[in-house]
Amino acid sequence: MDERTWPNNNTDVCIRCAACMAVCPVSRVTPLFPGPKQTGPGAQRFRKPGDPSVDEWIDLCIGCRLCDLACSSGVPISELNLIARAKYLDEKKRPLRDWLLTHSYLFSRVASFFSPITNFLFKNRGVRWMADLLLKIDRRRELPVYESPTFRQWFGGHRSTGEKKIAYFYGCYINTNEVDVGKAAVQVLEANGLEVFLPPQECCGLPMLGNGDFEGARKMGLKNVPSLLQAIRSGSEIIFSSTSCGEMIKHEYNRLLAIPGAEEVAPHLFDLFEYLRKLKESGNLNLRLKELPIRAAYFAPCHLRSLGIGLPALDILRLIPGLHIENIDADCCGLGGTFGFKKEKYEISQEIGKDLKEAIDRLNPEAVLTDCEGCRMQIRHLTGLKVLHPVQLLRDALT
Amino acid sequence: MNLKTEVLIIGGGATGAGIARDLSLRGIPCLLVEKGDFLSGASGRNHGLFHSGGRYVVADPEAARECIAENRILRKIASRCVEETDGLFISLPEDGLDFRDRFVRACEEAAIPARLLSQDEALSLEPGLNPDLKSAVAVPDGSIDPFELVLENAGDAEAHGATFLLHTEVTSLLLDGDRVKAVVAKDLLRGEEYRIEASYLVNATGAWADRFLRLAGLHIAMALSKGSMLVTNQRVSHRVINRCRPPSDGDIIVPNHTVSILGTTSIRLEEIEHLEITPPEVSLLIREASRMVPAIETTRFIRAYAGVRPLFLSGEEGGDRAISRGFVLIDHEKRDGIRNLITVTGGKLVTYRLMAEKASDLVCQKMGINHPSVTHTKPLPGAGQRAGLKERLKTLGQGEILCDCELVRREEAEEVFREGKLKNPLDILHRTRLAKGTCQGAFCVYRLLGLLNESGKIRGDSNTILKGFLEERWKGIRPVLWGTSVREEELIESIYKGIFNL
Repeated sequence: MDERTWPNNNTDVCIRCAACMAVCPVSRVTPLFPGPKQTGPGAQRFRKPGDPSVDEWIDLCIGCRLCDLACSSGVPISELNLIARAKYLDEKKRPLRDWLLTHSYLFSRVASFFSPITNFLFKNRGVRWMADLLLKIDRRRELPVYESPTFRQWFGGHRSTGEKKIAYFYGCYINTNEVDVGKAAVQVLEANGLEVFLPPQECCGLPMLGNGDFEGARKMGLKNVPSLLQAIRSGSEIIFSSTSCGEMIKHEYNRLLAIPGAEEVAPHLFDLFEYLRKLKESGNLNLRLKELPIRAAYFAPCHLRSLGIGLPALDILRLIPGLHIENIDADCCGLGGTFGFKKEKYEISQEIGKDLKEAIDRLNPEAVLTDCEGCRMQIRHLTGLKVLHPVQLLRDALT
Repeated sequence: MNLKTEVLIIGGGATGAGIARDLSLRGIPCLLVEKGDFLSGASGRNHGLFHSGGRYVVADPEAARECIAENRILRKIASRCVEETDGLFISLPEDGLDFRDRFVRACEEAAIPARLLSQDEALSLEPGLNPDLKSAVAVPDGSIDPFELVLENAGDAEAHGATFLLHTEVTSLLLDGDRVKAVVAKDLLRGEEYRIEASYLVNATGAWADRFLRLAGLHIAMALSKGSMLVTNQRVSHRVINRCRPPSDGDIIVPNHTVSILGTTSIRLEEIEHLEITPPEVSLLIREASRMVPAIETTRFIRAYAGVRPLFLSGEEGGDRAISRGFVLIDHEKRDGIRNLITVTGGKLVTYRLMAEKASDLVCQKMGINHPSVTHTKPLPGAGQRAGLKERLKTLGQGEILCDCELVRREEAEEVFREGKLKNPLDILHRTRLAKGTCQGAFCVYRLLGLLNESGKIRGDSNTILKGFLEERWKGIRPVLWGTSVREEELIESIYKGIFNL
């Protein structure tokens, strides 16, 4: 990181064009958030070292990074917002709720082990009322369902074989809440001659970063990077199936958190479908797929967009015979990770998701596919439809 | 139209507005005539350096003493206009330490609090400084908003009975023996003519002092010295930065609101109306200022402007930098035999109050009355309120913002229109921070036009008004147009040409 040019001077290149204002999902639905141009390069001109933060609106940034994509001048708007939010929350002090939401990795194994009890409690109206009242976790939001055994436990009893080894960063949610996505990823990779292994890993830290806890996020990065480096140095590439974990490790570890070794990791880290697309381009993709006569709709998560790799899942899913798949024309589901769980943000989250819900209603699909667990939760919440990771459908098409 | 007043003040800069307030607080009726808007001269065209006196302390200790005394007073009475940033006089390797030692001694003698800082201490306060610096001396410099200052003075004067005629130029003086009987003035926007009779006249026209006196057949020797300044997009330091060497070109950086102002040049002029900022001046300022703060080499500039220093020549030799920054008060009764005319000019923005007090004292003396000035203890109406970057940023998210860059709320502009005192819509630029930020008004003047229309107070062809704003904008941007600014300018040009069909 060049301290002379970052981040202060980068805001000088803002040409005030307001393209970012046009894509911001939050300022579109609420006047409480002044929008990226104002909260990023605009507010930066008013910030003075030593002044307390007065950025009361900064916590409304949903962290989608669409502003960065829209910026014609390369202003790191979402990073400026993250830095400002960290300062604001450091001074204001975070509620216990934010700690709980961002540290679920600490108790997720226990929650998974006692999953019948956890799930009973999480679904219980009384418990949700209490969580709403005491913790300000909105009672209208379904809490994640825990599964047992965990993905990692399942994998312990699984013998992966293949000609080439590949590392898999599965992420917390797959491990304890959507184990089948992990299984599907393993099966698809194996069907393509790859031997999957799981490097030791912790939460990527994105929930903490998104809640302005740089220290916590950095701690996670410092645990993950050495383990990922080891995998790379042994000659493997690394796959992720959660686009948010991927975005975090690939971009923020190096750029924002300056974690040593992150720069070396980034070029070896691939989105699962990006990797499959690479296989296809080199003629190595297993194309023996059976017919799946399903009407499905695909939604591209914001963090996939900010990876700048196109829509690889859609490219691959289109190879499945009989599958009728359409891209959903909508921006940002509105969940924003922990954002949509918070009582004071729930309404905003729902309002943002409105467009997406309407777009899905128009397509009337049997299933919705998307790469991000947050988007899956939100789309289930908005529509009640069956929502899958694209790899689950691809696995179903394997012969 | 015939008007009558006790004291007629000519010039609506800091001095003129200060005199209007001083006199009206003493209960003396006065009328101020200004050919442009308030602050059209040097008062609105300086770097807003709130001098501690440090800059003049070695060469002109008397001016420095005036500065530090007024500095202390204004912190109390004009707190809303002053940001107490402190200032550093930094010594670079090429400056040597002789001057610094003389500087520290002179500060001591002039009672300017000065503290010698090591390289490390200076860099920890201002990390953007040239890391090669040898040492720094901290003094109570600051930054001052001349617009707020003058408008608060004028507002308070008005509340105590003073009246103003803006955009009105004095065209002739009618002499009657040893006194000025009346002046003829013309409203430059509406064409109306006034014949104003006054018992006493105060010439507070700054750099125009000699020009004005010529109307009475008098002459004083003035050196008109142009000083050009550049405005950065963001602050490059949060303290005033000075070179610790004899005052020279490009050795001041002043943090002012959201920006830093780099100054100045010093070029002798004959012409005072249309000031051009030349490419060599721009290069010189960047080259010199980036010796103090290296990031200036690559930073973005949003505007350049120039002002004329009203320097009074009392006969000494030497360059314009050596002419005293102290002010002069001329009683034309003693000098030229005109009983009811005085001139006050020279000085610094920071000594405006003292100049006003002394000029008003002389008026009182001529009137034979004994009303002491109270301006050194009576706070301006806005005192007590703090206006800082933080306070401004707080307004974001609270209501409609008119100027995105400087966070000027719609209500602020509406308030100015409601008062109904704007003769020229462009004058709103002197009354709010509107259009003083990154885009220099590109994205707010058309919003403003809508407001003007709704207010119904301003009549005229909207395209002409819009062009007026854009020309004012373009004048300041042109000298610093490169890099990112060019990209922005292309966008803005296409908006105004494409959408507004200008």
